[in-house]
Amino acid sequence: MIRFENVNKKYGNSVILDDLNFNIEAGEFVVLIGPSGCGKTTTLKSINRLIKPDQGKIFVNGQEISQVNPVKLRRKIGYVIQQIGLFPNMTIEQNIGVVPKRLKYDKKEIQKITRDLMEMVDMSYEEYAHKYPSELSGGQQQRIGVLRALAASPPIVLMDEPFGALDPMTRATLQKEIANLHKKLKKTIVFVTHDMNEALDLADKIVFMEHGKIVQMATPEEMLANPASPLIRDFMRKSALAADTLNLTAADFLSANVISVQKKKSIRECTDLMARHHIDSLVIKNEDQTYAGVVTIKDIKKHGKSSGVIGEIEPYQNITSDILENAKDSFDKLYSSGDNYVVVLNNDQTIAGIITKTSMATAMADTLWGDMQ
Amino acid sequence: MSFFETYGDRLITAFQIHLFYVLTSVVIGFVIALLLGILLSRVPQYAKVVMPLLSVFQTIPGIVFIGILFLYLGMIPATVISALAVYAIFPILKNTYTGLLDVKKEYIEAAKGCGMTPLQTLIEVELPLASPSIITGLRMSTIYTVSWAVLAAMIGLGGLGEFIYIGIASNNDQLILAGAIPSAIMAIILSLLIDVLRRAVVPKGIRSVK
Repeated sequence: MIRFENVNKKYGNSVILDDLNFNIEAGEFVVLIGPSGCGKTTTLKSINRLIKPDQGKIFVNGQEISQVNPVKLRRKIGYVIQQIGLFPNMTIEQNIGVVPKRLKYDKKEIQKITRDLMEMVDMSYEEYAHKYPSELSGGQQQRIGVLRALAASPPIVLMDEPFGALDPMTRATLQKEIANLHKKLKKTIVFVTHDMNEALDLADKIVFMEHGKIVQMATPEEMLANPASPLIRDFMRKSALAADTLNLTAADFLSANVISVQKKKSIRECTDLMARHHIDSLVIKNEDQTYAGVVTIKDIKKHGKSSGVIGEIEPYQNITSDILENAKDSFDKLYSSGDNYVVVLNNDQTIAGIITKTSMATAMADTLWGDMQ
Repeated sequence: MSFFETYGDRLITAFQIHLFYVLTSVVIGFVIALLLGILLSRVPQYAKVVMPLLSVFQTIPGIVFIGILFLYLGMIPATVISALAVYAIFPILKNTYTGLLDVKKEYIEAAKGCGMTPLQTLIEVELPLASPSIITGLRMSTIYTVSWAVLAAMIGLGGLGEFIYIGIASNNDQLILAGAIPSAIMAIILSLLIDVLRRAVVPKGIRSVK
């Protein structure tokens, strides 16, 4: 669909694209990523001839693009930019209709296209089509920016850091929407970003560039498993760091290293176990492995006798948390309850682990500075 | 009362002539300024030389300029109109040029990316976005021209300046005011009309922005 053959570009003495060769198949979602100045945006913009390479050939749909009228070429390639660039003097409908109008679609057709596209991103035609861009939020504006690129159903859509200026929540929503649109419409999408998470989430293939060259072109899985250079690894780590802290769950912070016993275990055995592990409480399980409660050394002393089984002692109902619960909620529980730890339960009520103040600190250090264990 | 009996007709004629000078010269100046502004905005590197030259031109006193033109063209309305048009050009030119250059690059890039030709980009994106600035220039030119048109009387071509010159020469305050007040009123009315024009020309979507 898109092929680069020995493409070079220089600005003065600095090499921007260094003998670039690659191929993008029809229907692929390809993400260009790399440090700033690596040439990813230049690569993107040479596809619709906004930038002209010094040497080499670029083929779009089998045609060498330097032989194609740039205006005609661009009408067949959707284009979304970071600054959104909706024309403020035009309504939403007029903005979406910019390319179809140039391709001489009639008014009714443009209206239908606008309505259909807006429906796809859950924006009401009646409410928004006749508004001006300044009346919309940033996220809504960029939705329209994407729709404008899709309006004349071009087979290829280029996106230059389209979500870079949006807040994290809106960005996540739009990423989901663009993934859906890609699935539905089967466009070839070339997408520039500097956000590795975005690349990993969206891409069929990631092209990692540095100094105008491709360092690695691979699927997200492959790149995760075998990053081709330390820089790529670094990018992945940083993106893990920036991973939405909002999305961390109890699972990310628990320590699975928890001592639990069945109710039928004798009290003597339990006290031995506690002494050996230097702990003052045990998590008690029912026979079906589900969580029953917690028994502390104090409870055992209160109970008075060391014969019998631990199940005889009424276990303390310690604070618990679901394994998928938001990590912050688990922390709040830990601090407000006064218990020494939170017992984290799997969906089937079996014990997944506990979150102590120590395990929490370790996990946080982990997220911040990489592997601590 | 007796003033209007004596001068009423002449005042109305003078007002009409004055208005005629203003409108024709502003229209001519506007067309030239708009075209020149668009051309210069395509080649900002030349504009850096051309604009200062034109602004020096602007500092030549109108009275000198109109006098020189009078020597070449004679006592015809064209003398007044071309002199006024030349002065009307600069504010509009400057505002057209800066207005076009101030259009954010992202819009131009988006327009290009959408497959607009340079002409379509100019007409559908750049000019609408620059229109508030252009209209501001038009308003300045118009108001200036109303006062500059007073100079027409200097070479005997009528207009409200006639009253002012005669008034000054004969030390008649009433006559000076009879020339000055209508031209002030003319300036106010024309600038109100330009406000109406602004509403019609400036796209709704950017009215609240500036």
